Amino acid sequence: MSTQDPVDDLAPTPRLDGVGDDKTATPLLSVRDLRVTFDSFIAVDGVSFDIHEGQTLAVVGESGSGKSVTALSIMRLVELGTRAKIERGEILFRRPDGSIVDLAQESEAKMRSIRGNQISMIFQEPLTSLNPVYTVGNQVAEAVMLHQGVGRAAAMQRALEVFDLVRIPEAKRRLKEYPHQMSGGMRQRVMIAMALSSDPTVILADEPTTALDVTIQAQILGLMRELQRETNAAVLIITHDMGVVAEVADDVVVMNRSKVVEQGSVYDIFERPTQPYTKALLASVPRLGSMTGLSEPAHFDLVGEA
Amino acid sequence: MSAPVATSNPLVKVEDLSKVFPVADRAKIHAVEHISLQVERGETLAVVGESGCGKSTLAHLIIRLLDPTGGRIVLDGDDITDLSPRAMRAHRQKLQIIFQDPFASLDPRRTVGRAVGEPLQVHKITYGEELEERVGALFERVGMERSHTTQFPHQFSGGQRQRICIARALALEPELVIADEAVSALDVSIQAQVINLMMDLQEEMGLSYLFISHDLAVVERISHRVAVMYLGQIVELGPRSAIFEDPQHSYTQKLLDAVPIADPRKRRKRPLLTSDVPSPRWPHGEHPERVELIEVDPGHFVAAE
Repeated sequence: MSTQDPVDDLAPTPRLDGVGDDKTATPLLSVRDLRVTFDSFIAVDGVSFDIHEGQTLAVVGESGSGKSVTALSIMRLVELGTRAKIERGEILFRRPDGSIVDLAQESEAKMRSIRGNQISMIFQEPLTSLNPVYTVGNQVAEAVMLHQGVGRAAAMQRALEVFDLVRIPEAKRRLKEYPHQMSGGMRQRVMIAMALSSDPTVILADEPTTALDVTIQAQILGLMRELQRETNAAVLIITHDMGVVAEVADDVVVMNRSKVVEQGSVYDIFERPTQPYTKALLASVPRLGSMTGLSEPAHFDLVGEA
Repeated sequence: MSAPVATSNPLVKVEDLSKVFPVADRAKIHAVEHISLQVERGETLAVVGESGCGKSTLAHLIIRLLDPTGGRIVLDGDDITDLSPRAMRAHRQKLQIIFQDPFASLDPRRTVGRAVGEPLQVHKITYGEELEERVGALFERVGMERSHTTQFPHQFSGGQRQRICIARALALEPELVIADEAVSALDVSIQAQVINLMMDLQEEMGLSYLFISHDLAVVERISHRVAVMYLGQIVELGPRSAIFEDPQHSYTQKLLDAVPIADPRKRRKRPLLTSDVPSPRWPHGEHPERVELIEVDPGHFVAAE
């Protein structure tokens, strides 16, 4: 324990690795050997990982690597309106009452009680996720009424609470605004507020900051980290950005072409990558400060370029 | 190639350029406010800033896709600010642009060979077999194959499509290529390859780039000089090393500090406070205050705060 380290409380949580008491050793979400197909195309092939309370797992990969399909499979949204099929594998979720269910086998009716309630999702583009003709307060309240069976007044009160939680200034006034009246960063706060309104134990965030400006991204990442500390939720973040991974993840799963290439703690992946793909991915990440002392532009190293 | 120094004969000289859009309620959007800058021959000048800062508007003004409301644009010694579209045509050869989304920039029903050859036909430079030869050579120059010319945009990946757009931009052997978020939509490994290609082409052809980007880490790699824009104005301008190693303006510092660091041992506290970039929209009768740039070091200009 290095108490002199100023960012100690931001350091990744040590992995539990089955040690400690039984309760914490059972993961909140455990994906085992997941295989998802679209007709003959295998979109996710043999993916396995665990997430514990208060931990952040980042699934990182390039376009088409299967990372979003993995998240949509956990929500069982992947089969809706597509020819996707969860062919194999388990998605074990520990419900708040302690019972363990396999989401891959659950009925749509049961999924509705879990989806958006015990497991919430935040998407990349808040403007397409919000209905333009309702106020944002209405939309958050609707989610609360749907999942918690409370009346309108109580739901609006809860909406105000979560707006405060995600640090939306002048929350009471903002509840009455329409999506187009808000900035991109503020809309993403609304989406996070909606996701948190049902006190989920697992939050899936698919590229939550990709559409945001860098200063706003910094605010949202800071907010997500703080909220996780306050709620102890497990977070699965999907991103293509290794900078974001380094900022928020405890554990990392690197995906390429539907498969897991490498997985481990954030330090394993950044400091001791073993697979050529992971090394190539890290080498091509533009790093601020990599040019210090140089006066000329410089090429990127392309490790393992074909 | 060594960093070009400010010369009295720059490729592009922008003086006091402004663009104001009228909007509802007699209000005005001051997208670009009194911008002056130069692009030297063979250099990459990056323009960085966040959404709505006016960086794309600036690019569109320079290439005359938009008409400025004030100021001058001088290309290679010629004032092109008020040229008619017809008169502008002769200058367009020197000036090309690459956009962010290569798929949206290519006609889906036309072979990519025809797309790359079209500028040569429009400008009546070459026809027939010689055209085919030039197009094939352009494909090779951007790391593609001659056989690709007969295929359609949907048959290529995003990185390949952007290479095709670069080939088309190079067809007329321009002097300035404006890259408006040209690598932002690409995966990082592909992004690195395309940036390397752009640097190679600069060395071979002596191109100048005006590189518009929100991605500071990419900008640090590719640029000789950097202009930081905020609310339509330049708040800091200088050599790359000055901007990245010795940023003076508080906005530049904030921008640099917000970039995620790809090293888990360097996590920083993040601001929890909520702030938005203020709007460039001004009610009737009001306008932004003009910022004056002060030269703090040779070639390094900072807005007074």
